[in-house]
Amino acid sequence: MTDTPRILIVEDDAETADAIAAAVRDLGGDPVIMRNWADGVQAASLARFAVIVMDRMLPGGDGVDAIAKMRAAGSKALILVVSALGRAANKIEGLEKGADDYLAKPFDPDELRARLRALLRRNSMTVLDNDMLAFGDLEIRLKARTLHIGRAHVALSPKEFKLITYFARNAGEVVTRMQLLEHVWNLHFDPQTNVVDVHVGRLRRKLEAAAGRPVIHTERGEGYVFAPDGARG
Amino acid sequence: MIRQRSAMLRLTLAVAGGIILLSLGAMALQYRSTQKALAAQDRATLAADVAAFAAFYDQRRIIALREAIAFRAATTPPDQALFLLQGKAGEPLAGNIETWPGDLPALVGGLSMDGARSFQHAAQPYLGVARMLPGGFPLLVARGQGQSQAVLDALARNILWVGLALCLVALLAGLGVARVVIGRIDHLNALADRVAAGDLGARLPGPRSDDEFGRLERHVHQMLDRIQNLNRATHRLSDAIAHELRTPLNRILQKLDRAPVDSEDRTALRDEVRAEMRGAIRIFDSLLDISGAEAASGQAPGLVPVDLSQLVEEVGELYEPLAEDGGLTYRIEVAPDLWVLGDRNLIAQCLSNLLDNAIKFCGPGDAITTTLAQEGERHLMEVRDTGPGLPDDIDGLAFERFTRGERDRAVAGHGLGLALVQAIATRHGARLTRPKVQKGFAISIAWPKMARPPDLIDDP
Repeated sequence: MTDTPRILIVEDDAETADAIAAAVRDLGGDPVIMRNWADGVQAASLARFAVIVMDRMLPGGDGVDAIAKMRAAGSKALILVVSALGRAANKIEGLEKGADDYLAKPFDPDELRARLRALLRRNSMTVLDNDMLAFGDLEIRLKARTLHIGRAHVALSPKEFKLITYFARNAGEVVTRMQLLEHVWNLHFDPQTNVVDVHVGRLRRKLEAAAGRPVIHTERGEGYVFAPDGARG
Repeated sequence: MIRQRSAMLRLTLAVAGGIILLSLGAMALQYRSTQKALAAQDRATLAADVAAFAAFYDQRRIIALREAIAFRAATTPPDQALFLLQGKAGEPLAGNIETWPGDLPALVGGLSMDGARSFQHAAQPYLGVARMLPGGFPLLVARGQGQSQAVLDALARNILWVGLALCLVALLAGLGVARVVIGRIDHLNALADRVAAGDLGARLPGPRSDDEFGRLERHVHQMLDRIQNLNRATHRLSDAIAHELRTPLNRILQKLDRAPVDSEDRTALRDEVRAEMRGAIRIFDSLLDISGAEAASGQAPGLVPVDLSQLVEEVGELYEPLAEDGGLTYRIEVAPDLWVLGDRNLIAQCLSNLLDNAIKFCGPGDAITTTLAQEGERHLMEVRDTGPGLPDDIDGLAFERFTRGERDRAVAGHGLGLALVQAIATRHGARLTRPKVQKGFAISIAWPKMARPPDLIDDP
């Protein structure tokens, strides 16, 4: 993979396509825009892309139905569906048909950036140790389901452990509340209050007490960043 | 119009035709039986004559027969009966006619009804017996059938006239019936035309009769009432949507108007506008969720076995820290392994809305209790709090979209939460009730239960 990841954007609305392209450039990527279903499928088979951002209601068909075609043509790109069909049932359908992530329109540019970052990271991620995730003195053992900071064991509830694991897998990147709700709680709707904040707040306080420094940082208006070394992603 | 006319014509003809066919059938039967009775009577009279003459002949042969025939012939006109006894040379010995009728052979044998046959004489129909008596005396005894024929002819004429009159009456009767029936249907058609033209308030005037037509009219009226109510509700809803969306848009407008000077303020403004936009999007999302759940109501596709116990625990746990931070007593009591056929995400959203509401309206010291238990054929999910309860002004409307109490204007929300809860319950065929509580608010949802799937791979 080259240093600048190429990202295919299949989107018929010019305004939205430009917004996505801008987000891609922000992340140091190289955007390629296709305006309809057939061109999108063809482009995916002709070049190698790190991520494909697909609209659903495209001239020529439903973007979700293109995923199988692209995979059949040998594309290994991760696929992010961005669609106005944004209800839980639509999302679940998209994910079941092979999308790697699903974002509803209208979307926050920050949310889009966070999700693209997560996908790009997943693409370049080296194989982790099957059992342990380590960040300096912070060690997560997956099988034993334990967290140690230095020598101290930090007692976590099962949900808190799931939360820290998801954070750790996306270390240094911004993760949004919706991402947490989807991956940690498997819930695909937007609760009226920010229940997630309370959970993250508790975990953050526990970690900070044990480590003596902030481990999870709030990214204003966007979400959270897990940066155990104090460095920001 | 053409169909309607032809329906009227068909109905008229059917009714008239039915009456005519039945009556004609009855009269034909009458004619046949009269004809039979008359023929039997003619034959019996002839048989009596023949028997009498046979008795005379048996006693004193031709002489007695001749006297008897002469006597009868003197008193009987030939159109009523024919008598003729001839001598060996064919000369008439006695009788009321002179000549033997043509084409009537005299049979050899005793005097009896054997071989009785019909024949014509002087253009009149007769039934008679012709015999060649021993010694060569031809004898003819016959009864005229003219009278019977006359009776039958008169009967046939009567039938013809009555039949014609019947046709007329039947046509009139059919027309009358058709007019009444089609007339009442026409009323309904006229009503339907008015409704189709846009007048949803149109109704048939006057009282409804207590027959099938009255019932049909009542049903149509009930249907129209329902449609009118739904239509009103839709209008109210779209008004409410327009109103609710104007509010955040207006706030955004006001905020943008206060042009910020430094970048710190700009960032704050951006965040505020973004929060308002999120709020507006959330209203649309909720509305879409509600109508989506409503549209799918009663349809099984898309529903899968869901471990309700596990789901209630998970969502309950999601809200636990929030409740604790608010100083609430928070309890979750769940019976294990209760399953329903459902949409996991929708059920989670339903419970999430209920808990969210409860936490929003309860103050420190209040208690929120979530229970899930089996009750008969249902799984009873109940969320109960000791908060302020529903304000009186919205008590009956709590499940309508955009219903909010005056009291709660200051609390965040759009009045869509309970409407969504209702829609999700309906989608799953679940019954939603509000148990009476002394203080606070309680809601109970009875989900139709299903057996635990035997070999289900655990949810990841």
